[in-house]
Amino acid sequence: MGRLASLLILVGLAALVFAAPPRNALVSVPPPLPEQTLLTQPLAIVVNRTNSVDDLSLSELRRVFLGERSHWPNGRRITLVMREPGEPERKTILKDVCQMNESELKNHFLHGLFTGEILVSPKILATPIGVRKFVFNVPGAIGYLRLSDVDNTVKIVRVDEFLPEDKGYKLHVEATRTGN
Amino acid sequence: MRSSAKYEATQSPVALVSTVDRVLSAVLRHNATLLLVLVFCAVAVVGVFVIRDLQTANAEAENIYGVSVQGLREIGELQFDAQETRRATLYALTTNDSNLQVEYADQSRGADQRVTDGIAQYMHQAKLPADMELAERLTHDWANYLSIRDEVLASILEGSTKEAVTLDLTGGVPSFERVRQDLNEVKRSYDDQASRRLANVVATSRRSAVRLIGILGFTFLLSSTAVWAIQRSRMLSAIQLAKLQMEFVASVSHELRTPLAVLSSAADNIADGVVKEKMDLERYGRVLQNQSRQMTGLVDQILLFASTEDRKKRYVLEPLDVAQIVGSLESSTRELIQGAGFVVERHMQPGLPQVMGDLAAITQCLQNLVGNAVKYGANSRWIGLDVALGPAEHSPGQEVRISVSDKGIGMDRSEIPHIFEPFYRSPRVNAMQIHGTGLGLALATRIAETLGGRLSVVSELSVGSTFTLHLPIVERERLEMTGAASPPYSSKQT
Repeated sequence: MGRLASLLILVGLAALVFAAPPRNALVSVPPPLPEQTLLTQPLAIVVNRTNSVDDLSLSELRRVFLGERSHWPNGRRITLVMREPGEPERKTILKDVCQMNESELKNHFLHGLFTGEILVSPKILATPIGVRKFVFNVPGAIGYLRLSDVDNTVKIVRVDEFLPEDKGYKLHVEATRTGN
Repeated sequence: MRSSAKYEATQSPVALVSTVDRVLSAVLRHNATLLLVLVFCAVAVVGVFVIRDLQTANAEAENIYGVSVQGLREIGELQFDAQETRRATLYALTTNDSNLQVEYADQSRGADQRVTDGIAQYMHQAKLPADMELAERLTHDWANYLSIRDEVLASILEGSTKEAVTLDLTGGVPSFERVRQDLNEVKRSYDDQASRRLANVVATSRRSAVRLIGILGFTFLLSSTAVWAIQRSRMLSAIQLAKLQMEFVASVSHELRTPLAVLSSAADNIADGVVKEKMDLERYGRVLQNQSRQMTGLVDQILLFASTEDRKKRYVLEPLDVAQIVGSLESSTRELIQGAGFVVERHMQPGLPQVMGDLAAITQCLQNLVGNAVKYGANSRWIGLDVALGPAEHSPGQEVRISVSDKGIGMDRSEIPHIFEPFYRSPRVNAMQIHGTGLGLALATRIAETLGGRLSVVSELSVGSTFTLHLPIVERERLEMTGAASPPYSSKQT
């Protein structure tokens, strides 16, 4: 049995070597994409209207979104609201705020919940309307929304003293992708 | 119109008494009509009450629907929405899916907004102090429940299910129970209102039914009385007419009998040769002539009255000078007046306009008045004839008034309304053996009315009477009249 297995492995390796095209051979590669224009729009950090916090630094925001800060100054427990994995808004938060990818974030929360350092895992909402309604209903909630999805039921928090409309605001999300 | 044209009240305090007499007389003569008017008034008054009752009942019914029934329906909706608020909150407890929890929270808030609006509307409609107090309590309890509900929702969404349940059991359930009791109380209030209004509608309907039955009975009673009164009135009128006709026949027979007796006696004397001398024969001839003329005049008067009985006698109306009328009257009554030894004192306003009329008819009318003045002038032997212009009482413009006065026996005030009735003879003149047919004034009145004028009388017992014929002036004369009349002058004729 051991000989037969060794033989099969050798045959397979040989087939891979001979089947591989030479480096200079023409290969069928997908055509390059046309010149792409990437449009973005601000991603607002929103909290409940009763929340007294108006301004957060990016580092404070990182601690909040990583669950390292559990309560607001008024004593209310912080409830994180996230979009589902793969959504552009979530990607922005992961990249610009948490500075992690999905698996790192997942591991971070698993570890934190296991050790007791993090009390509650983030709430996952499917739509921006759901995020808005959640933040409206929960006094300690914090989430993120495209600026166009924000209305007066929630409050926008300054990030590093910048509002989403301000020049120098750091959080932007891919808006649309157009091609020509 | 006819009765108003028959006589005038004197221009003195006596006028008021005369008016009262007239009203009393009308009441006696037209009791059936008055009864019918009374029935109509009673039906109208009760009808107004019944209509008002029906309107009240309608308003109550509308109130029952608009306020009580509508209010009960709204309270039912409020109760449902309040339960919906709670149900959606509790449903959020049953899942860990944040998306579903948000959806339930949204449903709960939608329902609570409807309840809040409903309570605000109830508060706005509440008028009674008790209702206002209840509305305020309901508002307060609902707000209290909502604050707890918000906390419960927040806990559920945060994932603190245990905390949410504890909060709901300790605060949510009791506060919602208070809201439920408040809503039940509001419902009871609407129930009470509806019951009270329904009782009002029932009472109003019962009252209307009683009134309708009452008015039907009253109408039946009064109508029966009115019919009875009408029948009785007709019967009395027929009896009165028959009596008057009998008296008329007796009177005419008596009037004819006197000249007939004279004629018969004179004829017998001539036939028996008692009268042979030429002078005596001439005297008898004049007697026969006078008596036959008197009989002819009497028969003519009766025939003329018969011809005017249906009021269809036609006269040829033409413009007449008043002087022409007066002249005709004087010539036709000269013999009568001179024979009776009366003096006529005439006052005639100069420049009088022409009047419309039939000369023969007017002369006949005035002749009857002069004849009465002679008949009832007693011992004064005086007749006044006044012709003047005056304002027409029943039409714009002016009229010519020809008045015949005497200073005779006059009339009692109660007699005046009857003297223009055909065949009427005052008991007083019957007792005084003053003969007549009772047709003179009736005939004069008919003539005056047919000519477009009227006859009026002013009389006082034992002082005398003045009968006035009012004649319309010719239209063009009426236009030309300026109202400035020259002072009257008087003349005396014997």
